[in-house]
Amino acid sequence: MNQQSVALAELYRYLGPEMVLAAFSCLIFLGGTFRASRQTWGAVALLGLAVSFTALVLGPRWTDPSNETFILPVIFDAFANFVRGLAILSGVVLVLLSWDELSDKTASDYHACLLLLTAGLGLIGSANDLVTMFLALEMVSIPTYIMLYLPKHDNASKEASLKYFLLSIFSSALLLFGFSYLYGLTGSTNIAVMLNTLHEAGTSGTAVPAIAAIALITIVCGLGFRVTAAPFHFYAPDVYQGASTVGAALLSYVPKIAGFVALLKIFGFVLPPGVQAVSHIGTGLSTQIPVLFWLLAVLTMFTGNLLALLQDNVRRLLAYSSIAHAGYMLMALAAAPYLRPQSESPGGGPDGIESLLYYLIAYGAMTVGLFAVLVQLGPAEKPVENVDDLAGLSKTHPLLALLAALFLFSLIGIPLTAGFTGKFMVFFGAMSVPETNAAPYRWLALIGAINAAIGGWYYLRIIAAMYLRNPLKPIEQPTRTPAWATVIVCAILTLGLSFPPGSRYLMRWTHDAARNGAPAQTAGDAPVREVAER
Amino acid sequence: MSPEAAFDLSVYYPIFIFLGLLIAFCIGVMIAAHTIGPGRRSAVKLMPYESGMDPIGDARQRFDIKFYLVAIMFLVFDVELLFLYPWAVVAYREGGIPEVLQGPVFWSVLTFIALLLVAYIYDWRKGVFKWR
Repeated sequence: MNQQSVALAELYRYLGPEMVLAAFSCLIFLGGTFRASRQTWGAVALLGLAVSFTALVLGPRWTDPSNETFILPVIFDAFANFVRGLAILSGVVLVLLSWDELSDKTASDYHACLLLLTAGLGLIGSANDLVTMFLALEMVSIPTYIMLYLPKHDNASKEASLKYFLLSIFSSALLLFGFSYLYGLTGSTNIAVMLNTLHEAGTSGTAVPAIAAIALITIVCGLGFRVTAAPFHFYAPDVYQGASTVGAALLSYVPKIAGFVALLKIFGFVLPPGVQAVSHIGTGLSTQIPVLFWLLAVLTMFTGNLLALLQDNVRRLLAYSSIAHAGYMLMALAAAPYLRPQSESPGGGPDGIESLLYYLIAYGAMTVGLFAVLVQLGPAEKPVENVDDLAGLSKTHPLLALLAALFLFSLIGIPLTAGFTGKFMVFFGAMSVPETNAAPYRWLALIGAINAAIGGWYYLRIIAAMYLRNPLKPIEQPTRTPAWATVIVCAILTLGLSFPPGSRYLMRWTHDAARNGAPAQTAGDAPVREVAER
Repeated sequence: MSPEAAFDLSVYYPIFIFLGLLIAFCIGVMIAAHTIGPGRRSAVKLMPYESGMDPIGDARQRFDIKFYLVAIMFLVFDVELLFLYPWAVVAYREGGIPEVLQGPVFWSVLTFIALLLVAYIYDWRKGVFKWR
């Protein structure tokens, strides 16, 4: 009891970045009622993110001296710090992207919500308790409802916000239902204790009760909504189409980080320090987890890619594209349990979690970049609607057309873009699953390759419209300086992360985050570390 | 006093005095309102009181958003009290919050109140309390 108290009292020292973000959020909420200016509050939001990042870098390093993982609601391990850094970077990109898309009156509320969302995203990475995890997920969802509505007030935007709100709370309810079963199964809401209990049951040969399947399925439903996995994707096209371009950019990326990070943590793909997987990571709750993700990946890829072929509205098309890419990421997740042992040995190929994190960042760079180009081409009140609106872009705006082509090529997966490197890692991972389970994963890689080819069609259709057709109607002159910064940052990331040194840095970070500081274990010889008696 | 003798209604006499005062006050106020009040009767004043809504007509009418805003503000502070009671009761009691956590919990509670204050000022500045 006393150790827990001391550990809890110490915890505040490590929460600096999130506290800074919350404080700045309050400041912007209040300040916005005194002064309506998008320049001021955009700048304050950027300042808040910078201070938060400084606090993250210079703040005290969390170490796990005496198995505190098993008593703390939040832990700040390598994976958590990776997610927090990613959250702050996403926050900066989104502040710049939405800078001029907002009216002076709504800017303060929007940026304040954005900072809260960034803090929530960081907390999802740090959460070590189901309750904290749920609160952090809601801390991302609730500002999203507001941010979808603020930039644009027409009927379509209202419909989109309401639709997202209702379905999102429904998915949250499913998630909580699953959490309650997990608690019932393991007797603890602490994720480390929960995973340890499940893994000990696995080691001692105790069968996990069949009711675990209910927990598994409802949690996957709840989080599948956030990552737009296939049977839970129905909201995405309508919401993307109705929302403003910045709203769609936000939705295509932020809930994906939230959902995948939560999946990785809850199912034990990324283990808290002190917890050791029995044989395969991520299979503690049920050995059927890879099968479930295999099926979801196939369904999601086909749904996204085939339905995207039929779309004419750009945002709707990108919604289906976002679904398709969720499928590729699920593919990495499905292969992950079988890849960890061999990826430990030198030259053993990529690890599934590493590929997933890499793909997540690459996808974020290219899709937010593409949305940023769309923001350049049409203000919030008159956005680019159809593929036809982009016709002849290479003649009117050659640079923007070139950058859009770069992002689209990356989404297809053409070499020398981050999209290619990401897809390569994911497909190669699925191909290199060892013998006993090889056949279904070879099929998965093949299905993925077919889908990447289908995806090529609708992305190339946009490129063809931009380069081979004549302009149908004049497009406004781009004048939005901060959004240009987003385009350039995303372009640099899309190119720079695709080959060394950029890709090597990113792979090292994702490697460390996926291992979470755990000592390397060799294939076939999994030492089960004993939990120190308290 | 022995424990058996503890049941003694006379111990509760302050409550009965309070009850008496309460009833007397209610009746007194009603009598005073009828005798001293000016009693100008108008159509609106003779209508049954229904929290500001029109009591007669279709029940499916749209409510003014102001009712919700005030209700939410009320709820927020109601819930704040709900959170403060357990803390106030156990904070500094023997066997309550451990010594080392008393500081952090105190500041957490203060932060909680400060956040509600931020929300209050935000509402006030946005004109939630103006009944236009």
